[in-house]
Amino acid sequence: MTGRVIVITSGKGGVGKTTTSANIGTALAKDGYKVVLIDTDLGLRNLDLLLGLENRIVYTIVDVIEERCKLKQALVKDKKNPNLSLLAAAQTRDKTAVNAEQLKEICDTLKEENDFVLVDCPAGIEQGFQNAVAGASEAIVVTTPEMSAIRDADRIIGLLEAKEEIKNYKLLLNRVRPSLIRSNEMMSVDDVVEILSCPLVGIIPEDTGIITSTNKGEPIVNDENSFAGKAYRNVAKRILGEEVPFLDLDEPKGFMAKIKDVFAKLKAKV
Amino acid sequence: MEKGFVENGFIIDLSSANNTTQLVFELSSIMEHPDVKGKRVCLKLGSIDLKQSQLLSIKALIESMEASIAFIDTLSEQTEASAVSLGIMVSKISNDELPMIVCDSADKEIKPEPVEVKEAIQEEAPCEIGKTVEVHADIPTPSSPIETIEGVEDVYEEETTRELAEIIPAEHFDSDFEKLATSEGLISEEASKYILLDTGDVLPEGAEENSVNTETMPTLYINQTLRSGQTVSYEGNILIIGDAHPGSEIVATGDITVWGILGGIAHAGSQGNITSKVRALKLNAIQLRIAGLYARRNDTLNVPYVQKTNEFTPEEAQIEDGKIVIYKKLRRD
Repeated sequence: MTGRVIVITSGKGGVGKTTTSANIGTALAKDGYKVVLIDTDLGLRNLDLLLGLENRIVYTIVDVIEERCKLKQALVKDKKNPNLSLLAAAQTRDKTAVNAEQLKEICDTLKEENDFVLVDCPAGIEQGFQNAVAGASEAIVVTTPEMSAIRDADRIIGLLEAKEEIKNYKLLLNRVRPSLIRSNEMMSVDDVVEILSCPLVGIIPEDTGIITSTNKGEPIVNDENSFAGKAYRNVAKRILGEEVPFLDLDEPKGFMAKIKDVFAKLKAKV
Repeated sequence: MEKGFVENGFIIDLSSANNTTQLVFELSSIMEHPDVKGKRVCLKLGSIDLKQSQLLSIKALIESMEASIAFIDTLSEQTEASAVSLGIMVSKISNDELPMIVCDSADKEIKPEPVEVKEAIQEEAPCEIGKTVEVHADIPTPSSPIETIEGVEDVYEEETTRELAEIIPAEHFDSDFEKLATSEGLISEEASKYILLDTGDVLPEGAEENSVNTETMPTLYINQTLRSGQTVSYEGNILIIGDAHPGSEIVATGDITVWGILGGIAHAGSQGNITSKVRALKLNAIQLRIAGLYARRNDTLNVPYVQKTNEFTPEEAQIEDGKIVIYKKLRRD
């Protein structure tokens, strides 16, 4: 078995790389695929918090590279889904503790036994980025509809194109607020796709549920009622090659109507 | 000696402590008492040698409880020099001037027999003066012998001393320490605070031989807050006066004591010393590691951000029968 190694990157910080990694990973694992998440943000690790696995980490990626443990020992199994495991970053070290070759070796080993290896990339374009990209053959570029995030995403896409190993890359537009798009205060999805000229893999609406899910250490895809969770599940399906229409953000009336429908059904039950 | 000192101060006798860890541990136990607030403290340090930095830490510790050092009484030249450089007055304490808190050492071997304790009290402060209050402020493990201090109450004559420090009956200590939970869910998985991790081959070989008394080890003092990503490791005991935030790591071959909230990873007895302990004013470590035993905090307690609190419930973790057991000191109110 040879799995797919996908790096999740953005250039700019705070656009949702880690949230995206945790949610896509969880969604793929829920579909029955074996998934390993690698946190390459050494010194500023967060992925373990989002998955609620911080208290289970004994060994980190640096321990694997410095041969203090075997790769298998360092993989932390998810609480709910045994298909999902995490290779945590070291919090007490910095990006120079690993190099691109070592990370490539780890990715190559992991893809032998897993369907997906998702690499959570740190912000920036320095060594951390170079390390994260090294083992990957695909990339998901996360951005938000803001000028600064788009500028950085553009830079990242340029760097990814220059890498021979990256066979394809796709855009994930995060934190979209339909109401602001309608009032022309935010760039529309089409605008962003046009500026970056990059195929889209998903549109994630802004959702306050993300904040609570991060604090609880529970990915939002596990919440069946969440809009953002549904959007992430759709992204996972698109990664698997399914044709899923994008969530209809432009017609909020339709969405409201759906909510009204739900209420109507509830009332009928009562 | 100025009159002002006498009116609002008391003596803490730490002369029986034979190393700095013990001294600070005992001092902190006494300083926990609510009556200490706003008082001037006279420290009787005995012959222990304290460096300037160590004395400064002790001063900071006392000041953190809103008390202050009036003067110290020491037999050590080094301590005296440290005190002078820090601007702390050095003086001889006369017993009949101030109410006194005698602190027994935690070392079981040097504990006097019950009868001797009573005699010693009478010698140091005759009944006529009646200002001696004895507080056993050391934190004993349930197995350690606790002397009875019957009859000490007779020494009371003035209400003022009663306000200063109260007598805790000896039998109170046993109930004061409650076996909270073990790492293997002795009570039940849900109620257990820590759950042992299956770490496979992390257990070091020959743990028994490495287990020397941690009291004989040197101690590293750190007077700062440890933040995420910061690591402290030391061959000996580590004492942190401050909080250890989640994401920080403390690794000691001996004991780890945190005078504050412990939120990161603490690894005591890192080279296999199974007598090592981890203690903190608030034990909230994401992982507790003692020698080769690793325990994770229960998921029900999984709070990813720092929980600052002023409600402290001092706890101590140690290995018992191949498990990590946490003892909780109940609040007295």
